Amino acid sequence: MKNGKGSRGRQGGSDRGGIRKRGAATRVDREGDMVMEGGSAARSRGGKRARGESGRSNTSNRSQAANKAMDAIQRAISSNDSQANIRQGGRGSGLEQAIVRGWKQSKAASNPDGGLESLIAFLEKKLSPSDSKAGTRARITKVCATPELAVTDMNHQRRPLRCAFVFRDGSFRTTIGTCLGSTGSRVEGDALIVSVRPELLDRMLKLDGFSFAGAPLTVHKYDRSTDGLLDQSMLSQNGSSPSAADTKAKMTAVLGRRYAQQTKLLDLSRLASDPDLVSMGIFGSTSTESKFFPALMKVWELNFDDSAARRKAVESVSLAHNQLANITAVTTLAQTIPELKNLDLSNNEFKDAQALIGWRWKFRNLEFLDLSNTPFSSDPTFKDTMLKWYPKLRFLNNVEVRTAEELAAQKKTPIPVQPPHFRDESQIAENFVRAFFAGYDNDRSELINGVYDKSSTFTLNINTSAPKSEGTETAPWDAYIKKSRNLLKINHLPARMSRAYNGTDKIRDLWTSLPATRHPDITAHPDQWLIECYPIPGLPDPSGQSPTGVGGLLIMVHGKFDEISGSRVETRSFDRTFILGPGGGMGGIRVINDILCLRAYGGHEAWIPENQPAAPPAAAPATPLVAPQPVAVPGAVPGVVPGAPDGYGMPTPGKPDVQVQQEQLVLQMSSKTRMTLPYSEMALSGNGWNIDAALKNFEELKTQGTLPPDAFLPV
Amino acid sequence: MAPPTEDNLTKVSTDAATEFVQSFYPALENNRSSIASFYNQPTAMILFNGNAVTDGAAVQEIFVNQMSPTHYEVQSFDCQIINQGYPTPTSTGTKLPTETTLKDMSILVLVSGYVRFGESRDLPQRGFSETILLVPNPTTDLPKGRRRKEWLIQTQNFRLVV
Repeated sequence: MKNGKGSRGRQGGSDRGGIRKRGAATRVDREGDMVMEGGSAARSRGGKRARGESGRSNTSNRSQAANKAMDAIQRAISSNDSQANIRQGGRGSGLEQAIVRGWKQSKAASNPDGGLESLIAFLEKKLSPSDSKAGTRARITKVCATPELAVTDMNHQRRPLRCAFVFRDGSFRTTIGTCLGSTGSRVEGDALIVSVRPELLDRMLKLDGFSFAGAPLTVHKYDRSTDGLLDQSMLSQNGSSPSAADTKAKMTAVLGRRYAQQTKLLDLSRLASDPDLVSMGIFGSTSTESKFFPALMKVWELNFDDSAARRKAVESVSLAHNQLANITAVTTLAQTIPELKNLDLSNNEFKDAQALIGWRWKFRNLEFLDLSNTPFSSDPTFKDTMLKWYPKLRFLNNVEVRTAEELAAQKKTPIPVQPPHFRDESQIAENFVRAFFAGYDNDRSELINGVYDKSSTFTLNINTSAPKSEGTETAPWDAYIKKSRNLLKINHLPARMSRAYNGTDKIRDLWTSLPATRHPDITAHPDQWLIECYPIPGLPDPSGQSPTGVGGLLIMVHGKFDEISGSRVETRSFDRTFILGPGGGMGGIRVINDILCLRAYGGHEAWIPENQPAAPPAAAPATPLVAPQPVAVPGAVPGVVPGAPDGYGMPTPGKPDVQVQQEQLVLQMSSKTRMTLPYSEMALSGNGWNIDAALKNFEELKTQGTLPPDAFLPV
Repeated sequence: MAPPTEDNLTKVSTDAATEFVQSFYPALENNRSSIASFYNQPTAMILFNGNAVTDGAAVQEIFVNQMSPTHYEVQSFDCQIINQGYPTPTSTGTKLPTETTLKDMSILVLVSGYVRFGESRDLPQRGFSETILLVPNPTTDLPKGRRRKEWLIQTQNFRLVV
């Protein structure tokens, strides 16, 4: 299934660990795909289950099921029953399948699970030889349920079912059971499909016509051939059976016909009346129908080389007119296209919020949602619930429910984001920051020799759960975690001491052991940095002459870096605060404190100033304008633009923001045109502070040769 | 006074930072009338997203009157001693070297976590980074009804970073 691979890696939980003890079982599971190649219908079925099981094992909330599984496994292992290989239930192990109907009309159907458990108990009892002891009686394990049983499976959390394995994928669709004694079962619509040992099949079929809780049951042998069409094996990457390729090709064609690249719309409405799908026999049985959508999503994914391209390809999906009573059958959409903006679910049968609950925390970027002509949309709580679920929702049932302003206001912080506060002294901080990160990337030892001394302190803490940018994954922290001095977690004094690095030698040893890094160039990518600085008093005086302490600089840097370990490159974000004081290092300074926090990559949007100057239109190139830290604006570096007064383009107390922003524009203008600051300012003010217009104007005048030589900076 | 041992220094500084983090962020959340009491007077600099705020009283005023309900979640923090012999001011000037104790130190605290502006749990979690310098409380006054804080904010810089 879709997320099978990912969940395999992530999961590795106790249930798998237990299984691994049995080599054969592991092989069956792991190599399910290969077994499927065998081609017989029976093997294909089993293979599919093996896949399904790993694919759906990605919820954490099923330890109960896992524990039960462990129990079942242990019992299976310790028994001398030859069929203890639990993973073989229902696959190529010679089991026969029977289909049981009629129980949905029984009194037990009003049970929370639809009567399934009662039915299973009933069948077990009937199948068990009358003289058998409890230990050898037949057991049936529920294997698979279709949407009708979603609630049953959810309830499983509280009310034990006789399941050896229940794995959920968020849609509550369960799959894979084990056949502990003799049987396994699954449910398709109103049919329970039971796998039994061949010797039990006769007994099973004799139950035809038996009365169960007031309703007659029908039992007959199950014919798999009607059920093979969409076997997952057909869609496996290396699946090479003709029908697999055929199914995939047909689905690809259907998807191609329903996808509009320009509008990024994937129209999956009215699927049941799609002639191609109908001709494929998709909707012939509940079984193929339930497998169809995940398969379709799988085919869709196979069309893309990487998840980034896949995410970008679709912004809108329509699932209108599909008679959906809940999203169970289509839930995989949320995994395949998680960053959907527009979703049309109109003209379906959703009764209430519960019918959509599987998507409660999905589609975090949803802006447009249509649930018109569904029972749910006339519910009085409908609008509030949807607004609550989807914080970016703008339109619900084609009515605006949040204005752009409301959305912006929601996003806006109560404390407006301002450009960095950067109050340097003699460019000490600027020079230090530039040299530091270049040195940290290239020669840490040299950096330590330059500005660290015997009293310098370095510590590192990892925020392993920090908010991160959407759509990014965070690499493990193994290389750092044993050095992390997160005081929330490191509570013992000896650990707190050993994780503080004092003096050049200890810092050097630590830094040498940390992964190599590459920070973005400050001049080339100013927007990726936020650097603030101001003077502070009360620092230790290494000369001991000033008992009241000496002044220094507090520097706070936020940014990102690439971590290089072997061929892998991981991007992470960091916060790093330095305290510089007078000392014997390069430039007469020393690092008193260097404290570093590493966290998942979180982008740099958070520090883009909220108050843009009014004059430059939105069309102006974003980066230079929002370049927040003056040190990084190339023109702001004195010497690059001769004649720039001290502090020009930098915020200082009392200077209005508009002036700072205009000065920064002037510096940009000047660095692009090589015009002097006064001429750059004239060009900008003459063009409404629109730098694009000013540059265009400049090019015209330059071509005409009307600019005087003194408009330009001396070469 | 015998020179302080490494373990004592570590204990005092990390206890101070822990106590601060465990009381300051809850106060920002639901005890805003106490905010001013966390600040030294005068403070060197207080910044929120690049906005300079005059002093602790002004911070309290902003939180009491202008801030929506706000939830802070500290996910990681660490501290370092800046100055083991911090010149704590007294009524007669600065403490003499003979008067200083183990607790006359200044401490650098770096906090990483998330903040949610507004009551609803569905609102986005914004990552923040905050640098705080703590100095010893120079006064021995006992604030009415409150425990005397041993450490006060000398400078603070809050930034949303995600």
